Amino acid sequence: MIRLKPRYSSDRFGGLLLSGFAWLAIAYMALPLVVIVSISFTETAYLKFPPQGFTLRWYTQFLSDPSYVSAIWLSAKLAIMATAIALLLGVPAALVLSRVSFPGNTAIAALFLSPLILPVIVIGVAILQYASALGFARTFGALLAGHVVIVIPYIVRTCLASLSGLDRSLEEASQDLGASPLETFFLVTLPQIKPGVIAGAVFALIISWINVELSIFNTTANLVPIPVKLFNYIQYSVDPMIAAVSATTIYVAIVVVAALDFMVGLDKVTASR
Amino acid sequence: MRITRMWAIFLLGVPVALLIAYFIVPFTVVAITSLQAEDGSWTLANYARLVGDSYYLETLLLTFEVSLWVVVSTFLVGYPLAYFMTFVVRNRLLRRLFYVIVVVPLFTSNIVRAFGWMVLLGRKGMVNDILLSLGLIDRPMQLLFSKVSIVIGLSYIMTPFMVLTIASVLQNIDRSLQEASRDLGAGAFETFLKVTFPLSLPGVVAGSLIVFTLSVSAYVTPAILSGGKEIVTSMLIFQQYASVFNFPFGAALAVGLLLTTLLLISLYLLAVEKKVKST
Repeated sequence: MIRLKPRYSSDRFGGLLLSGFAWLAIAYMALPLVVIVSISFTETAYLKFPPQGFTLRWYTQFLSDPSYVSAIWLSAKLAIMATAIALLLGVPAALVLSRVSFPGNTAIAALFLSPLILPVIVIGVAILQYASALGFARTFGALLAGHVVIVIPYIVRTCLASLSGLDRSLEEASQDLGASPLETFFLVTLPQIKPGVIAGAVFALIISWINVELSIFNTTANLVPIPVKLFNYIQYSVDPMIAAVSATTIYVAIVVVAALDFMVGLDKVTASR
Repeated sequence: MRITRMWAIFLLGVPVALLIAYFIVPFTVVAITSLQAEDGSWTLANYARLVGDSYYLETLLLTFEVSLWVVVSTFLVGYPLAYFMTFVVRNRLLRRLFYVIVVVPLFTSNIVRAFGWMVLLGRKGMVNDILLSLGLIDRPMQLLFSKVSIVIGLSYIMTPFMVLTIASVLQNIDRSLQEASRDLGAGAFETFLKVTFPLSLPGVVAGSLIVFTLSVSAYVTPAILSGGKEIVTSMLIFQQYASVFNFPFGAALAVGLLLTTLLLISLYLLAVEKKVKST
């Protein structure tokens, strides 16, 4: 551990300055979310911060609107299915990439990560154009395929990171003792890279759950994920009900992050990114 | 684990095929479209229009200008925060709390975060209230729907990326180097300038690249916080595809944005390469 015990008065001043600044920065990170959560309880019919009174009226209003409930349901379905497919494809791919050396190995690894550098809006229009040409534009399938493409990099990246630090002698021992490759994978390898898999899956879930840029090109009146619905609404009007919808997505984020921190430890996840 | 050739081909083949079908091919379609006229004949007219009209060039310039400000401001906010979380906070619970507060916004939709800033930056919003009560201004400023609000909104969204990237590099710095510097008589600030900061440069470079590429291509945040008054390139792309239905020109804008971004990134990497290597 580095000792930050001040040796000079200028060190102490610097330390205080740093702490003060860091606390301000963390307050800045929390502020917009605190504002939305608090105005979602206001009794006024317009946005008011600080809020006046306390009511759950805005929450009951949006929960009784079937179009919001179905949008949330669609988003959840999309995120879960895209993550499941990306896991089925991404984890084995990462395994092969880290274990088998062949020409083009790095090129393929780069291919898996490349959707990260391409603007998502470009992937969105590309899939729209392509799916129109093939006749399945604006369907759940087109939307799902797009989401798989944008979340797969997160899974491949975190799995590659976990696999690179792995002690392979355990796997060899397992196979020398007669386990099949499949048994070895599920009983030895997977448990060891579990933090990477969980972290990748959580990132994938979230990236899909909050995506607008890709979805917006591939939606119809009946096929609207919740972020797209929010986006369309917010451009024309903002009111306490929309704050309640937004606040609900913040609660989801807090629960997911807390669960991730509990299961894996956030600092470890973020260090392996 | 030994993996047979057959399995390797199968396990890699399926996802690679998916990426080719849904990423490489569609993107090629966009690139080809950008080279076609609306009747399908080959032309460079879309690019000529993009380069020839100062409106599009100014939009591109604004996009890059905004992104550059976002990189600078996320660095100024993010670096001290990452440093504080890594080296100063010793209480484990407090450190976890800091991490949670940094990561939760990342898991919250850009729309929701932009919404928060709409409330804060409005004429009767908290930022104006504070500036008024401090006497810094004498009437509410028009903060919303301007270049400033785009920069603020995007910076807020990108700060977690900068903090986490820098923190992950800071975590891996060998602390005995800092101790050695202190033992040799350097002050905390001198140690930071001559030891810690140079060692953390790869994180700063990686963080600024992520923030820059994400900012250049961001659509939702500028769309909400500009109120349509300041147009960035992604908004033009969206317009061309979703309301003008001029796919070829929209495609040319997308390719143009991508190519200029890649060019700027390569120049940046060339410029910093020597500095990062020499440390």
